[in-house]
Amino acid sequence: MKNNDLNLSFFLEDASFENWARGLNKNDIEYWNLWIRNNPQHIETVESAKSIILGVSFVQQYPDKIKVDHELAKILPKLAIEEPAVKPKKSLRSSQKIFLLTTAAIFLILLSWNGLSLFNNYNTTTHKTNFGEIIDLKLPDGTSVVLNGNSKISYNKNNPRLITLDGEAYFKVKSIPSTNAKFWVLTEDLKVEVLGTQFHVNTRKKKTNVVLDEGSIHLEFNNGTVTKMIPGELVSFSKESENLIHKKVSVKTPYALWRGGTYAFNEIPLKEVMFNIENTYGIKVLYSNDSLKNIPISGGIPNQNLKICIAAIEKATGTRIIHKNDTLQVTENPINN
Amino acid sequence: MELHSDETLWYFFKKGEHNAFSLLFKKFYPQLHVYGTKISSSPAITEDCLQNFFIQLFEERDKPRNIKNLKAYLFVSFKRRLIKQLQSNQKNVPISEAQLFKTNFNFSAEEISIHQEVQFLCTRTLNSLINQLSPRQKEVIYLKYYSEMNITDIAEVMDMNYQSVLNTLQKAMKKLRVSSENQQIKTILKKN
Repeated sequence: MKNNDLNLSFFLEDASFENWARGLNKNDIEYWNLWIRNNPQHIETVESAKSIILGVSFVQQYPDKIKVDHELAKILPKLAIEEPAVKPKKSLRSSQKIFLLTTAAIFLILLSWNGLSLFNNYNTTTHKTNFGEIIDLKLPDGTSVVLNGNSKISYNKNNPRLITLDGEAYFKVKSIPSTNAKFWVLTEDLKVEVLGTQFHVNTRKKKTNVVLDEGSIHLEFNNGTVTKMIPGELVSFSKESENLIHKKVSVKTPYALWRGGTYAFNEIPLKEVMFNIENTYGIKVLYSNDSLKNIPISGGIPNQNLKICIAAIEKATGTRIIHKNDTLQVTENPINN
Repeated sequence: MELHSDETLWYFFKKGEHNAFSLLFKKFYPQLHVYGTKISSSPAITEDCLQNFFIQLFEERDKPRNIKNLKAYLFVSFKRRLIKQLQSNQKNVPISEAQLFKTNFNFSAEEISIHQEVQFLCTRTLNSLINQLSPRQKEVIYLKYYSEMNITDIAEVMDMNYQSVLNTLQKAMKKLRVSSENQQIKTILKKN
């Protein structure tokens, strides 16, 4: 977007601007105060965006719980709700197929951390997430990053537009048209070179996956080759196997759905879903029987709470999953057999 | 704390799961109730319509639907059903959707918080200022700040595009700001 043509959405869609308007985050307040000082011509749009964010405070007068329960009690007898256990398994499968989404989410395995230790000096800023934690970050240049669980980014303070990533993250890069400043993301396998754009990078499973949402980026692989990506494409590369995949993914794929706290699956074998869980929560999954690994899963699995996550997977696959210390034991559900 | 994302909830609802219906009902009934009562001005008609709405939703759960956002989908389909109902109640005098919103969609003083985040909005008269807005502006304000929806979802509920929702919202807030400031100036002048 050109700097002299900023519209309301530019401000409204920026989480850090919202923080500024609400006076919330010290970094964001400083960043936007400075921005406004440097861009006084946009003050009217800024004011307008601020008033839209703050809006009107209402006292929501919703009907209370007693009222809702009463209405629910009236309606339940009118429905033919089947008990889940009685339901034939076949129909469960077919309704799973109808559900939700079209492409597989990405699955992840961890890299070694060795490559990163080189950067660990006092000039380096590092952001790291714990298992199951998702954080929103604003980099000093205005770029937004959503960092998934068990992931890490770091950069040198003198060069905040050169990011090293280990794990999984979604980037919305702030373009700086005046200087044409580029933005780079380094992984073990490749280097992503960016102007303003939105994309998703995942380095788990001993390879790097990049999905581009908006804009255009160049990838430079560790073997020296360079490739260009257009929006809607996925590139997957592993320096170990030198295996390169470059393909189009269908629109609105759930590649970055985890940002909203849900993993979405469409007919994905249980073992791959569990790969995901192993990495996000740092636990080991054991199966009582190898055939369990291939039960297909479709649907949305909440990923911010392990307990709920397990319950959802149990329901979707008809298995029992026991969480003990750092392991998940997957067994057949006796009720289904 | 919200245990289920809407996607998960809807997934299990479609499967006819035991608890999913109750969870979905408890989550969305209150919001649809207030929204419906704003449109109809009648809690009785709204509740009647809500019962039938949820029954039909359950019975037709296998019907393929193009749902981008569950909340927006429920708001828009309930709104359509309710308006149809209200129109059929008034067979002798045909009434348009716009007229319905014009006569009914209002805010009471009790619904306005004393603590307004925006300084220029003085609470005492805010509800009358909001009620003077156009029906569309009122609905946008309602969906945005009362029902806490984002612009994309509001666009779906109001059958408008993203940019028009944004423009409507911007105009509404500007109108509130200007009339609020005028009133404050008047009060100050009276005092002197």
